[in-house]
Amino acid sequence: MKQQAKSKFDLVLSVHDLNAWYGEAQVLSNISFDVERNRVTALIGPSGCGKSTLIRCFNRMNDFIPSFRLTGKILLEEEDLYSTAIDPVEVRLRLGMVFQKQNPFPKSIYDNIAYGPRIAGIRNRDQLDAIVEDSLQKAALWDEVKDKLRDNAYALSGGQQQRLCIARTLAIEPEVLLLDEPCSALDPIATAKIEELILELKDSYTVLIVTHNMQQAARVSHYTAFLYLGELIEFGLTDKIFTNPGDHRTEAYVTGKFG
Amino acid sequence: MISTAHTRKLLRRQKLGDGLFQVVAVVGVVIALATLGALIADALVDGVPRIDWKFLTSFPSRKPAEAGIFSALVGSVYLITLTAVVAVPIGIAAAVYLEEYTNQSSRLSRIIEVNVANLAGVPSIIYGLLGLELFVRAMRLERSLLAGALTLALLVLPIVIIASREAIRAVPSTIREAAYALGATQWQTTKDHVLPLAFPGILTGIILAVSRAIGETAPLITIGALTYVAFVPDGVLSPFTALPIQIFNWVSRPQHGFHINAAAGIVVLLLVTLLLNALAIFLRNRYQKQYQ
Repeated sequence: MKQQAKSKFDLVLSVHDLNAWYGEAQVLSNISFDVERNRVTALIGPSGCGKSTLIRCFNRMNDFIPSFRLTGKILLEEEDLYSTAIDPVEVRLRLGMVFQKQNPFPKSIYDNIAYGPRIAGIRNRDQLDAIVEDSLQKAALWDEVKDKLRDNAYALSGGQQQRLCIARTLAIEPEVLLLDEPCSALDPIATAKIEELILELKDSYTVLIVTHNMQQAARVSHYTAFLYLGELIEFGLTDKIFTNPGDHRTEAYVTGKFG
Repeated sequence: MISTAHTRKLLRRQKLGDGLFQVVAVVGVVIALATLGALIADALVDGVPRIDWKFLTSFPSRKPAEAGIFSALVGSVYLITLTAVVAVPIGIAAAVYLEEYTNQSSRLSRIIEVNVANLAGVPSIIYGLLGLELFVRAMRLERSLLAGALTLALLVLPIVIIASREAIRAVPSTIREAAYALGATQWQTTKDHVLPLAFPGILTGIILAVSRAIGETAPLITIGALTYVAFVPDGVLSPFTALPIQIFNWVSRPQHGFHINAAAGIVVLLLVTLLLNALAIFLRNRYQKQYQ
């Protein structure tokens, strides 16, 4: 399923023949696709199709699962993320992830954002203040929390907590944003805010988003990858996937016949 | 369709079962509390009139009326502090290793898990024999405070490990994921997030461990702690006595006056234990943090 050739400059991520297993069970088979810079790429598919496993391959979160095994390559700017020369910690700094369920630390709003920069060695107070403000601005949360940065993050609503998690990820200045069903635990209003945010972020970041919500994929993404039973069935411009899919399974899924 | 009459009959029967179980549960609680109450009341009635400042600050004596508990009290406090200093860091480190650094489903970690649980059930006198051979004889620590503390540390180590593991396991994995995703290393994740969140639970384990250690008599007698000590330990290698040993010694004397002393000693021991527990509960509540 190779796409139209793009100049290397436009590609941030490139997946080649990715196969993955949990123990004996193969969960991803021969996945290959490219992710373009400053674009939103959505991964869609029914539950259990491997989309979450796939997105977690990008920042090596699956490394923590002892039975997990992977073959193939994921290139970030031509560099293999699974080469032995690269430290998984570096991978996670370059590809920031926001999770399904908002997971702020039980600390203050400020400390949540400052944690990443702090462990990266930034100790200067003014510099940290600036990062916190900047990250919260970018995540469209600054105006709501600027007077209560010392409050515990759990005092925020679910949607605010998720935007805090996005801000926290932005604070480490990743090259790619990985969003794993970021709205699945949120109400429609909070979801709309996050979607708005994703559209703003795409100017400065390359975004990969897993979603089970097809309207969401249609609203926010430029490219869509449809996964089914661990295989990449179809990948292309979102408009095309939703209006003129090339595979009958894609068509059945996007028109709501199953999933 | 089940008839209403039948449903009502069924419900009545279930209610009866509920009531019966409640009675059994209440009887159980009453028996346990009454026994404890009787013991404490007995010690209080005999012991409290005997407790005064002089009793607390005097060394033991051949005359019951002049004997005090000072060396045992100080010995116990030193002993428990030293035990905690040894057992807590090792116990937490072992728990962190088992929970965060080993493959949970591996054979080795399952074997270790079963063995730690078994160690918690080994009679304390066995630890006393181990302490006698290892610390007193092989390491030539003699009958010192350090030998006693190391023996008690071995004894309470499983309690600290088990409680710490449970506390660490209760930290949601989403918190770990969040830290890793921000570029934290495994150690940073453990020290910045997992341990602080597990701290209240770990503290509970320490309370249990300390409460157990402070009342232990058998292992200390086995390693040869002295029963008549007319001085306060001046270092970790000094000979020592402890409250339970002093109580044991007094109880075994024929004179009635010493029995009164023993009751008073029990009250002091109870107070020290309660005080330590209160401190630990205070600390736990203070650091208890909410997540989800």
